[in-house]
Amino acid sequence: MEYKTIVCDVLVVGAGGAGCRAAIEAAKHNVDVVMISKELVGKAHTSMAEGGYNVAIGNVDPDDNPDVHFRDTVVGGNYLNNQELVEILVHDAPERIYDLEEMGAVFDRTPEGKIAQRPFGKQSYRRTAYASDRTGSEIMVTLVEAIRRTSVRVFDEVFATKLLVHDGRIAGVTAIDMRHGDYLVFRAKSVVMATGGAGRIFKVTSNAQLDVGDGYAMAYEAGCELIDMEMVQFHPTGMVKPESAKGRLVTEAVRGEGGILLNNRGERFMSRYYPQVMELAGRDQVARSIMTEVLEGRGTPDGGVYLSIAHLPRSVIEFRLESMIEQFEDAGVDIREEPMQVSPTAHHFMGGIRIDTNAQSTIPGLFAAGECTGGVHGGNRLGGNALADTQVFGALAGKNAALFALEHDLPGFDRSEVQSEFERLQAMLERKEGISPADAREELTTLMWEKVQIFRNEEDLQYAVRELRRIEREVVPKIKVDVPIRRFNPGWHQAIEFGHMVITARMVTEAALMRKGSRGAHYRTDADPNDDGNYNIVIRKGEDGEMELQKVPLVITRMNPP
Amino acid sequence: MARTFKAKVLRYNPDIDDAPHFQEFDVEYEPGMTVLDALLYIQDKYDSSLAFRWECRGGQCGSCAVRVNTIARLACRAKVDPDQDLVLEPLEKMPVIKDLVVDMSRTQARLTRVRPYVARDKPAPRPEIIHQQDIEIVRELRKCIECSACLSNCPVVRETWDYAGPMIIRQLARLEMDPRDVEDRISMALDEAVYMCTTCKMCEDSCPKHIKIPSLAVELLRAKAVEAGYPLVEGQQGFIDSINRTGRSVPEKDTPLLKSLESEEFLVENPRGRVAFFTGCLIDYRMQDTGRSLIEVLNRNGIDVIVPKEQWCCASPAFRTGDLETAHDAARRVTEIFERVMEEYDLDTVVVACAGCGKTLREDHRPFIESERGEPPKFKVYDLAEYLIDVLGKDNIVPPKGEVNLRVTYHEPCHLGRGQGVVEQPIELLQMIPGVEYIDDPYKNRCCGAGGGVRAGQREISMKIAARKRGYIEATGADMVATECPFCTIQIRDILKGTDIATRYLPDLLAESYRKGDAED
Ligand SMILES: Cc1cc2nc3c(=O)[nH]c(=O)nc-3n(C[C@H](O)[C@H](O)[C@H](O)COP(=O)(O)OP(=O)(O)OC[C@H]3O[C@@H](n4cnc5c(N)ncnc54)[C@H](O)[C@@H]3O)c2cc1C
Ligand code: SF4
Ligand code: SF4
Ligand code: FES
Repeated sequence: MEYKTIVCDVLVVGAGGAGCRAAIEAAKHNVDVVMISKELVGKAHTSMAEGGYNVAIGNVDPDDNPDVHFRDTVVGGNYLNNQELVEILVHDAPERIYDLEEMGAVFDRTPEGKIAQRPFGKQSYRRTAYASDRTGSEIMVTLVEAIRRTSVRVFDEVFATKLLVHDGRIAGVTAIDMRHGDYLVFRAKSVVMATGGAGRIFKVTSNAQLDVGDGYAMAYEAGCELIDMEMVQFHPTGMVKPESAKGRLVTEAVRGEGGILLNNRGERFMSRYYPQVMELAGRDQVARSIMTEVLEGRGTPDGGVYLSIAHLPRSVIEFRLESMIEQFEDAGVDIREEPMQVSPTAHHFMGGIRIDTNAQSTIPGLFAAGECTGGVHGGNRLGGNALADTQVFGALAGKNAALFALEHDLPGFDRSEVQSEFERLQAMLERKEGISPADAREELTTLMWEKVQIFRNEEDLQYAVRELRRIEREVVPKIKVDVPIRRFNPGWHQAIEFGHMVITARMVTEAALMRKGSRGAHYRTDADPNDDGNYNIVIRKGEDGEMELQKVPLVITRMNPP
Repeated sequence: MARTFKAKVLRYNPDIDDAPHFQEFDVEYEPGMTVLDALLYIQDKYDSSLAFRWECRGGQCGSCAVRVNTIARLACRAKVDPDQDLVLEPLEKMPVIKDLVVDMSRTQARLTRVRPYVARDKPAPRPEIIHQQDIEIVRELRKCIECSACLSNCPVVRETWDYAGPMIIRQLARLEMDPRDVEDRISMALDEAVYMCTTCKMCEDSCPKHIKIPSLAVELLRAKAVEAGYPLVEGQQGFIDSINRTGRSVPEKDTPLLKSLESEEFLVENPRGRVAFFTGCLIDYRMQDTGRSLIEVLNRNGIDVIVPKEQWCCASPAFRTGDLETAHDAARRVTEIFERVMEEYDLDTVVVACAGCGKTLREDHRPFIESERGEPPKFKVYDLAEYLIDVLGKDNIVPPKGEVNLRVTYHEPCHLGRGQGVVEQPIELLQMIPGVEYIDDPYKNRCCGAGGGVRAGQREISMKIAARKRGYIEATGADMVATECPFCTIQIRDILKGTDIATRYLPDLLAESYRKGDAED
């Protein structure tokens, strides 16, 4: 199989908030940086983030500070967070938002001209910085402007399929050029993974097309350790209608600005579940409350509940929630007048590649940042902490990847490994008989949505694990592509992704099965009261090729679980 | 049975196909379906190799722009109309990689060349104090998601990459308005040919974020250029000087309408309404007959018409090219004149027949006067067709009787359709004329190339845009093209020279039918 090779010092896989930030930071160290992404640069999932960026700078509530941010994050994460990472998050978040401003970001202001901050769920103070309800877009646009100014070589629409490890060190990735179909090898001294989440393994999700879990699966296959994979956040408010918009996010800012949740009897039902905090309870709590209402017959005819802001001043809605107006306009609803219908949607992966305080994974030279990592958010992520995560750990990973590259030579690589990877990809194209990616994806995402969602139990999880192993054995090797061409062929891309989705789904499900109690976003209806839950689950691919799971002690710096 | 519609998708794989070709698919319709849903349906059901881009399915990432029935839109936000075939093509002007996926590298390179980021001359203070009021416009212009729909739709970019196009001009305005940026964005904008824009508003219309690029970027940068002392080109400066001297943008030739009218008052018995007529420069100085036609049409419909003898140019040329001093002076005068007429004649409505004047009175004078004195002009402004159909009411219009046995198509002036939201009314009027076979031109709302000072200042590009417009008009097979703007009338008449297609101003055509009807009675 013919291929082309691109050599660089630092390779960044992913061009979302974390990837761009890593590339910008690495480039400051006079190293040759290449950044690749599956989509056109600037279009990553980060551009969809709406609500904001958590940063304890106390512009609105002067009593706020990084210590309180630390506490909120760890409490919100149900004490499962790696507290060393949380220390870094809360400490560096302010500098990183100023970096963004320096690059040209335009956040909304307080009357004194400082960065304005809004309240978000489970936070002691108003801490979430924002640019209307298009904060992620603002950050993405800013980072792309900044990337255009650097010497970073951008290869967009390039799909990494496998990590190359040589002599125990990361050596690069194999990839395809999505546009023209060429096989590519990227060789690098160090690699930053910034591949985002995997909401798309669930049928109903708020995530972008790209979030299928490539990064998790590639890291797993390469022998990297992953952590907390059972922790998937279901955002309480996804769109219900129309069908095609199902799962699209209704930002938490709607509740932050004062939106209220009502059931079909017009009751503000959160008062039954969390009367103190009401709609601003944790995401998992609100999601479960909504699901309970729906399951007990108090939902809307379309299977959701109502979210209303009609009591707010129009000016507030128009100024702070402009994207929401537009989003619901498309669905034929004027949110200034009518309530929205919402129900939970798969939203965020707290788990992922296990990193240390240098943002390095368990493979030397392989760094990681953003949603593809695990540990920062523990059992549950606070709204607004993910964008901060991308900037803080993106910069850290970029810096350390550059330093690593400066200290090391380019590793060799295994040509036969590369060959067999490309042969595998080519075989998918040429297979005549088999299963289409669309059918396979439908089966997988339905299984995950039905059996591994908000309310979990032993029986469902056992069933899901069995099914996933079967899919891995029987479906993955039979995936075929309709038309055997390499030039921009989405069927082929989906076929490659499917293998990654299945591995990711298995990690989620196997870990969920191992954790017998309820904790954070992982809620079991048959929770074992004897499971104190004070551990993290680490996953790796064993010597024998089987998935190994192991409970490890929590990493604690200052707050012990109650 | 499920309802289905046809989707025709332009397919192309340069590795295999000689040329792009349409492929048809039957798609099952679902309420609320978007174009992206239709594409995904085709991909899942028929052909997973169908290439198109998407990510967020919610108008947030800017990946999915394609041409939907000729106009570039975000696939994830454009709704499917099941009663119509859906025609999907890749963005204009961008080389095709495969099917609907185009090569953006030229746009990227083009963008990069304007140093599209906040350039600073010293490190930013931390924290940095920036006041909300200083970033209001930046905030608007920042909404861009770089989907490139506007580039694909821009009539100027269509003809030449000498013009950077709306998305990039917007970026320059965004940087110019950013208090932190230290580069000279004005000279960059001039270098990127900001004066080529016809202000046709196609970009604004198709922008998923509704960014008002013509006013917030193009005209703003032009105004800044004038303020910075850059001279206008000769053709444009001539108009401005003339406005300031005479209140009219063009020199007098034949006796002007206002001078030739015997009276200010054209009253009828038992009037159903009363309006003042704002003539604008061209109707007054060059198209006197059209002015008379308008008065006649309104009178025949029982409307009193007041034509103030003293009028002043709306100063559209000044607004469009950035001479705000002239522009604002004119806005004040026009407001004063017509508010006086309102008082004197007890009316509250001003009718115009010039798309450019109407747009300027509504979109430029109104907000300016409001910001200056806290209250907008007291009178309402209507285009003639809009007044007849919406205010008088279609059923109340005295039907024109004289037959005009022609195949007639319509050119929608940019500043009427997108500028004032008047789209269907002129066509409805046309269709009321007996004998007229109305032929719809799918490209009727494309710019003729006259606006924005481009005919006066940038004749070469203006003519290129016009030539393409001629192609659209010719393709309809019509004998006549009707329109509702003097500039468009002049421009289109110009380009149709040498063809058998006539160009008519709508009030004239209406009046003609009325008169013929009288003769036949
Ligand atoms: C709708 C929505 C709203 C949100 N709102 C907020 C909010 O208000 N505040 C907040 O803090 N968080 C929010 N989040 C979460 C936050 O947006 C994400 O966690 C964050 O943007 C992830 O950024 P990232 O850089 O890690 O990954 P992404 O932005 O997902 O980028 C991943 C990158 O990796 C690339 N990639 C993946 N696989 C491959 C491969 N195989 N080969 C090459 N490249 C690859 C992709 O192409 C992409 O460039 C929201 C999430 C959603 C879904
Ligand atoms: S107004 Fe018309 S000519 Fe000007 S940038 Fe927009 S589309 Fe192009
Ligand atoms: S200005 Fe509007 S249409 Fe143009 S690229 Fe930006 S978002 Fe798209
Ligand atoms: S898919 Fe993101 S804008 Fe349409």
